[in-house]
Formats: sequence, structure tokens, C-alpha cells
Amino acid sequence: MTMKKGILVMLVTALVFLLAACGTNGNDNNKSPGTSESASGSPDGSTSASNSPEAIPTGLKGDFEIQYFVGGYGDAWWKDVIDQFQKLNPELNIKQSAGPKINDQMKPRWIQGNPPDVVYIDGSGSNPRQMVEDDQLLDLTDWIADAKNIDGEKLLDVMIAKPDEYNGSIYNIPLVFGSYGTFYDQALFEKNGWEVPQDYESFLALSDKIKASGISPYVHAGIYPDYILGGFLYPAIISANGDDGQILKDMGDMKEGVFKSEPVMKALNQLKEITDKGYIDPGAVAINHTDSQMMFLQHKAAFIPNGLWLESEMKKDAPADFKYGFVPSITQAKGGKFVALPYTSTMAVAKKAKNPETAKAFIQFIFTKQASLSWAEKTGALMNVKVDLESSSAGDTAKNAMKYYNSDNTIVAPVVVFNADVFKVMGDATIALTMKKITPEEWADRVEKAAAKVRK
Amino acid sequence: MLSQPSKFTKTAAQLALVLWALAVLYPLLWTLLSTLKDNSQFLAGRPWALPKSPLHWEHFSYVWRTYHFNDYFLNSVYVTTVSSVLAILLSATTAYVFSRFEFRGRRLMYGVYMAAMMIPMILGLVPLFFLLDDLGLINKLTGLIIVYTAWSLPFGVFVLGGFFRSLPKELEEAAYVDGSGYFRTLFQIMIPMARSGIVSIAIMNALNNWNEYVMGTIFVNDPSKYTLPVGISIMQAEMQYRVEWGPLFAGLLISMVPVVFVYIFFQRRIAEGIIAGAIK
Amino acid sequence: MTHNAQRKLFIFVCLVPAFLFFCLFTIYPIVRGMYISLFDWSGSSEHMTFIGLNNFKALYEDPIVWKAIGNDYFLVVGKVIGIVLLATLFAISVTRLRIRGAAFYRLVFFIPNIISIVVIGVLWRFVYNPSIGFLNAFLSLFSDTPVKTPWLGDTGTALWSILWPSIWAGVGFYFLLLVAAILGIPASLYEAAEIDGASQATQFRRITLPLIWEQVKVSILHIVMTTLNGSFVMVLLMTEGGPDNATQVLGSYLYQMGFKQFHMGAAAALGVVILALSMLTTLVLQLLLRRDPVELS
Repeated sequence: MTMKKGILVMLVTALVFLLAACGTNGNDNNKSPGTSESASGSPDGSTSASNSPEAIPTGLKGDFEIQYFVGGYGDAWWKDVIDQFQKLNPELNIKQSAGPKINDQMKPRWIQGNPPDVVYIDGSGSNPRQMVEDDQLLDLTDWIADAKNIDGEKLLDVMIAKPDEYNGSIYNIPLVFGSYGTFYDQALFEKNGWEVPQDYESFLALSDKIKASGISPYVHAGIYPDYILGGFLYPAIISANGDDGQILKDMGDMKEGVFKSEPVMKALNQLKEITDKGYIDPGAVAINHTDSQMMFLQHKAAFIPNGLWLESEMKKDAPADFKYGFVPSITQAKGGKFVALPYTSTMAVAKKAKNPETAKAFIQFIFTKQASLSWAEKTGALMNVKVDLESSSAGDTAKNAMKYYNSDNTIVAPVVVFNADVFKVMGDATIALTMKKITPEEWADRVEKAAAKVRK
Repeated sequence: MLSQPSKFTKTAAQLALVLWALAVLYPLLWTLLSTLKDNSQFLAGRPWALPKSPLHWEHFSYVWRTYHFNDYFLNSVYVTTVSSVLAILLSATTAYVFSRFEFRGRRLMYGVYMAAMMIPMILGLVPLFFLLDDLGLINKLTGLIIVYTAWSLPFGVFVLGGFFRSLPKELEEAAYVDGSGYFRTLFQIMIPMARSGIVSIAIMNALNNWNEYVMGTIFVNDPSKYTLPVGISIMQAEMQYRVEWGPLFAGLLISMVPVVFVYIFFQRRIAEGIIAGAIK
Repeated sequence: MTHNAQRKLFIFVCLVPAFLFFCLFTIYPIVRGMYISLFDWSGSSEHMTFIGLNNFKALYEDPIVWKAIGNDYFLVVGKVIGIVLLATLFAISVTRLRIRGAAFYRLVFFIPNIISIVVIGVLWRFVYNPSIGFLNAFLSLFSDTPVKTPWLGDTGTALWSILWPSIWAGVGFYFLLLVAAILGIPASLYEAAEIDGASQATQFRRITLPLIWEQVKVSILHIVMTTLNGSFVMVLLMTEGGPDNATQVLGSYLYQMGFKQFHMGAAAALGVVILALSMLTTLVLQLLLRRDPVELS
């Protein structure tokens, strides 16, 4: 466990250096634990957070409802932080609305204007852009500007990825941070004497060898096109756009013509090329993420586009000798930079929250280093709060990822949330392309049309 | 003297029956085998292989601990029973009146019921949610009971209407001559005579409501109130994230076995019910 | 109380409360759904904009809708043919052909009907799984190279792969129904036919089929209606309409539009389309299946 923690901490540290203008130095979480004044008098006083007493949100009252999606990260972290929050505020009546289908289940409540107070936006059926368009979220622009966490640090300072802006306003705050990339098994590569590809050309050359050895070079989760988009197509587009991530933002904003622009067409043709050469496993189109990941672990496929959460998600099922290897992207031209595509899941306060102050207090309560560590421990993924710890027993994913993130040779793409219609069409078209049902031109046609329809 | 069908026809038919029985039974057997396997055995790609020792019986206890199957069962039994009984009561009285009485608006009302059989439930899903919410019936099993009852009515009215029409009128007429009132005639003579039809409708309703899951998912969001299909779908959605194949099959098995036993126990009656409905 | 008043009271009590209850919980939401189809509404916003028939116009221009309608009817036709044929074949086998084990088959064939559709969906997804599924593993036994067909992921096979479990799950019920119908045919009819020297095939054509026609007709209508209104559950469980909308049916597209892409107005319009189609189909079928009733001698 501690090793795992160490790995993640290292990784976060690396990301911090990469993404933040200035890191916070040293251990500043050395204030005395301040749970004694919590009115709960709970015997274990288990708030592990090291809080500055005056900032602890105690004595909050009334009803308070939290909606959170439960997926790959489980719900242990949520149960834990909510428990702590409850202990600090024993008179608060906390209701948790959670589960893998919570977005569908809560939808009618949002329509009626009877939403929960605070929501973690993740999983199928959720889209922060739509929630903003539907005017469901509280404008947090002013509040976030100088909101501090319970350790007295400014929230904006501790975050790795900054909040997205919609027309200049901030509505949601990234809680989970991740990055897409392409994974491989180092052990397998070493055994076969395969060189890790540094660019598209070497990826093609290696894939040819891999295919000849009877293994599928590439597998992805066809049911959820997010993976091949995030791990292959978006980085390819950015590389083709001269390493400028602005194009991805333009795609998110559905600018006219962007989907048939030259960089996009170039990227699509790369996808078409690996399809035509038969490098993508034929089963990929029909499987979900866990199936594709299992195939990858079983060496039925050599590469998989996925996120940094992969290692912890599959830790039960990885063969003992498996060594996770990671490259941010495989689509850049020879000598080109790697493109890392970050990924976030966000938290927001409902505009119609009955207890918005508590909602904000809760956000302040959870955006701490302690919570971030706990998240890493319980979920194996990264929370969007910089943690600074001098542990260094880094593991496979982290070691590899870190090399790239620390390097000048890697571009970090912007976080973009697509319109649901456009994303659906883009996903469908991408899958159709990998099935050789359509051409890149038809892809562009379809997505442009969808974007035009939304723009209207 | 009856002529025998040709040997070939009989063999072919026998073969078809055996194959279909296999096709039905094998997935059940496969579920059992899979329950006791760990992931590496799944990946070996031999789904028919017997599970290797050690058998993973702990998948059952894990699933039972993690998900509240006893609650799911009790909720499903409660919702199914009450809504089926209610639906029978309402559809039998309605069908009887339709089949025996002339009055203004009869055709219109009957038409509404018949048209409703073709209504896709999903169209009314969201408005129905608001309605239930206004009535304070969201997250309540009572809400599900009401909805299931209402949606079961048209089919009951349709089948039982045909049933009542096929019964001889003489019995009722005799009863009326004897001074029996309408209600007594209905409940003491007509409904008992339509018993087989009622049983078959009850079975259909019970099957539908037992397996219903779209409305169950939307109208109930409290783990202690999940019905069985909702519980299973939540379980499988969660396990999909954790690659828990063995436990998933254990959960499926737990959900199936009691039902299959109940079915085998009542098999004769269920078949009779369907037969009665068929012959009317 | 006069006789007439009693009669009125009886009719009222039997009819009106049930009807009002029924209207409130089925007709009202449906009408309300139709009303929503005239609005531009995300389904999660508190605000709706009236746009008349524009949702329908957009659906008319949406190629996916037409594909979905085609898929719906593919499933309808496939299920009707598959289920009715198999159920009839099996029913004849255990009755007229007097194959032994009738009780066993009646017991076993019905089992899929009592299994939740969620379970059926999960099971069959495993059967079709390209790398660990039963089907490919089985086919690989007869092939030199491992079979990796993505049954649910190929536009050519995906819909067929959904059709099959639907038939699998449906046969039992109609089988029992038809067995019952055949057993209800008076034995004297067959005896008379025997005396005339009619073969089994002739007996089937002249006696069995006409006399179970009513049940076959009811079965067909029932399959058509439940398929048009309910096949989307199987689609959602197996493919979510993919790949590239190859298995999209109107119901699953409605779900996709309303709950995933935030167009509840368009979703409601799809619901109206489903309603119209299933009414139209039923009507046409009623006319097509009309056949002179066979009088028993």
C-alpha cells in the first residue's frame, strides 16, 4: 500500500512540476490535528486531516445532499470524507445519493429544480457542459477566486488542472486528474527485443513485427470510443497541428470547418492506416474497457490506449511479471514531441442548492493534501490537488510517465469537454472508421454536420 | 387406428427438442461453472471447462455480503404479489362490465384500454416520474406497485373480457332470478368460473412485473428498496468496473435459483394457467 | 334502490375508479409525453421552448431514425418468424408427433421466461464476447486458428446477435400456449381424418393450423407489440445501439437522445413515432391475419 502511495505521490509531484507555475514547497501540513473542538465527541476523533482550527467547517446544520457517481474509483474515499465531514458537523443531516446509475436516477430531480447540493460529475449520462447550458450549476467564479481549503491554502493554488471556463465563468472544479496515453508491457517488449516506439513511424514498424509474431498490435474499448479518441486521435490531431492544443479547444467549441481541417484529416488517415494494416484487434469494436484491458494483460494485444488509472484498476488481474510501460502518444512524426492528453472529472454546486454554503464548505473540506493522499490510496488514481512528499519508491506506470512529463519533449493538451451530440457522432464515426465502414472524409462530413446542427 | 408419423420426422423433431433443451439449460450450467472460477480460468478460453480446484465458493459469500439480495427478493416478491393481485381485481371487474353491459361511453373506454396496450412505456417515463414525485411516491415500493398495476390493466381487460364473453349467460340469469345482486353474482359465480383465465393473467402480470427494470431503475434510488432486476443491473454495472466475473455469475445464480425452484414447484399450475388462457 | 340504480351503481363501481386510476398513471403521462414532443427541452433544464413540429422534422431528416425503424422491423419479423416457427414445431412435436418427454420439455423450455432480462443480457454478452466468449471458443474447436469474431461489434452480425437471445427468451411461453391450443382440439377430428387416410402433413394443414390459428394470431400480435415497445431493453443491455448505430432501435435511440444526449423533446417525439408505428402495425396485422373462422362440425 505504501509503495502504491509512493508511486502516486511521485507521479503527482512530477505532474505538479510540469503543470504548475510554482509548486508548494516543503511540508506545510504540520499543523496540529484539530479535531478536539468538534462537537461530535466521537471516540476515535478520526479526522486525519491536519486542519487549522479556525478554518474547520463545524457547526453546519440542516440538510445536505451529495450526489456522486460510483465507477472505477469505488466509493471508499467518498464514504470516508463524508464521514469526517459528518463528525465535524454532527448536526448536519447528510444524504448521499450515489451509485453507478446515479446520473440517470437523479436526472428528474434536477429537472424539477430539486437537485442535490453538491455533485461530482462523472460517468455515463453526465456532462458538465450540458449542466452549464441548462443553467443548473452555481457560478463559482468569484468564490473560487479566493476560496481556501481548511488548511488555509488557496484552492486555485493547490490544483493541478485549473477549472474550465464557460464564457468566462467557472462552474465546476476538477476533482480527479488523469491522463490518457498508450500502454505496453515492458516485460513482453524486453523478452521479444521490441523497441518502444518514439513516433508514428516506429510504431508502424513495430506493429508489423508484433503482428507477425501472432499478437494483435493494438486493442481498445470499442464500446467506449473515449479511449481511442483520447489515446490516439486527439494527440494525433495536436501533433498534426504543429503541437498546438488550441485545435482541440476549437473542436470543443465546434468552430466551423475544424473537423475537416488538415490536422484532423491527417490524424484520421493515421487511424485509417493502422486499421487497413490490420493492427487493431478485430474484437476491439465489440468490447468494453475491462475486456480490452484484460486482453492487454493477457498479451493478446501489445498496445492499449488508456488512462493512468489502468494499473490500479487492473491490479488484481495483472500477471506477476507484468511491467506497465507508458508513452503519452504514438502518433507524432519522427522527432516530434509527445502529446499528453489530460482528463478531469469535476465537482460543482447546484444553482438551486438548498444549502450552497455547506456545499462550498464541503468542497473546501475535500480539496486538501490529506484528502488527495487518501484518494490516491483508496482509488489508485490522482486527485487534482498537488501533494508534495519525498517518498520515491516509484512504480512502473509512474516511472515511465514521469520521464515524459518531466521532459520538454512532451506537450500537455488542454482539457476539453465536448457537446454530447458532437461527441456521440464523433465516437460513432471513429468506430465506423476502424470498421472500414466509412472514409476519413465521411467522418469529417458527419461530425461537421453534427456540429452545425448544434451551433444552430 | 392412428397412423404414425414417419421415423424421419420423429427423429428430426426429437433432435430439435433436445438441442433446444440444451440451448436453454446450458447457460444455466455455464453460470454455475463460471461462478466457481477465478479470472485466469475465464481467460483460458474454455468456457465449458470444469472449474479448477480450489473452487471459489467465496464468490457467493462476497456477493451476498456486498449486495442485499434478501432485500431485493423481498421487495420483488412484495411488489409483484401486490401489483398482480390488484391488477387482477381491477381488470376482472372492468372486463366483466365490458363484456356484459351496454352503457354510454363503453366503446370509448374499451378503446382507450386497447390502445394503451400499444403504448410504449418509455414515452411516459419522465412525466410519470414527476407525477409520482408530486404524490410522494418516489423511492417507495408503493409507487412501483401503483405503476405496475396500472400498466398491467389493459392486457387483463383484453384477455378476461374474451373470457367472460365465452362463459354462458344462463348462469348469471339464473342467479339474478334467484335474487342475487350484481356484486355477489360477479364475485361468487363469474369470477370463480373465470378462474383459469384469471390465473393465466396473474402469471403473465407476475412475470412482467417480476422482470421489469426500466421503471424500477428510474423510480427507486435507494438500495434497500431495489427490486431484483434493479439490484442485478446495479451489481453488474459495478462489477464491470472491477472485473469481478466469478462474483458476477454468483450474483446471477443467486438471483435465478430461487425463481427456478419456485417455478418448478408451481410448474403444473403455471402451465395450466397459460393453457386456460389459450383455450378460453 | 331500484334495479336500474343498482345496475348503474355496479357499473360505476366496477369501472370508474379503475379507469381513473388507469388514466392517471398511464394515459396522462403519455399525453404529457406527447406534449413534450413539441418542445425543445434538454430533459434536465427547467426551461422548455415551444418549437411545434420541429422535433419531428429533425427526426424525419435523421438517417439514424430510418435505420432504427428498419432494425425494429427486422427484430419484429425475425422474432415473429423465429418464435412462432420454433414454438409451433416444438408444440406439434410434443403433441401430434407424440414424442416422449413432453412434460420435461414443457418444464425446461419455459425457464428463460422466468429469468430477468438483465440476467439474459449479461449472459449473452458473455456468450458473444470475442476473446473469452463461449461462441468463439466453441467455433475455434473446428478451426485451426482461434475464431475472434466480434459478434456484437460487426455491423453485419450485431443485430442478428441480438435477435437470437430474444428468440431464445421468447419461445417457451408461446410453446406452452400452442401446446395448450393443440391439446384443446377434439381428438375426434383427428380420428375422422385418419379414417379418410389423411397424412400427418395434411392433418396439420387441415385441422391443427386452422384450429390453433386464433392462438397463433394472438401470439404474433403479442410478439409484434412487445418487440416494438420493449426490444430496446435488450439492445441497451447488449450493445447500447452500437457499433455506429448498427443495432439502434427506436426505443434505444429514444433513451440515447433523452438520457445521454440531452434532447428530451426529441426523445418524446421518438416515443410518439413508436406509438404511431405500433398502432399502425397492429392495425395492418389485424387485417392481414383475418381468416375465416373455422367452424367445428
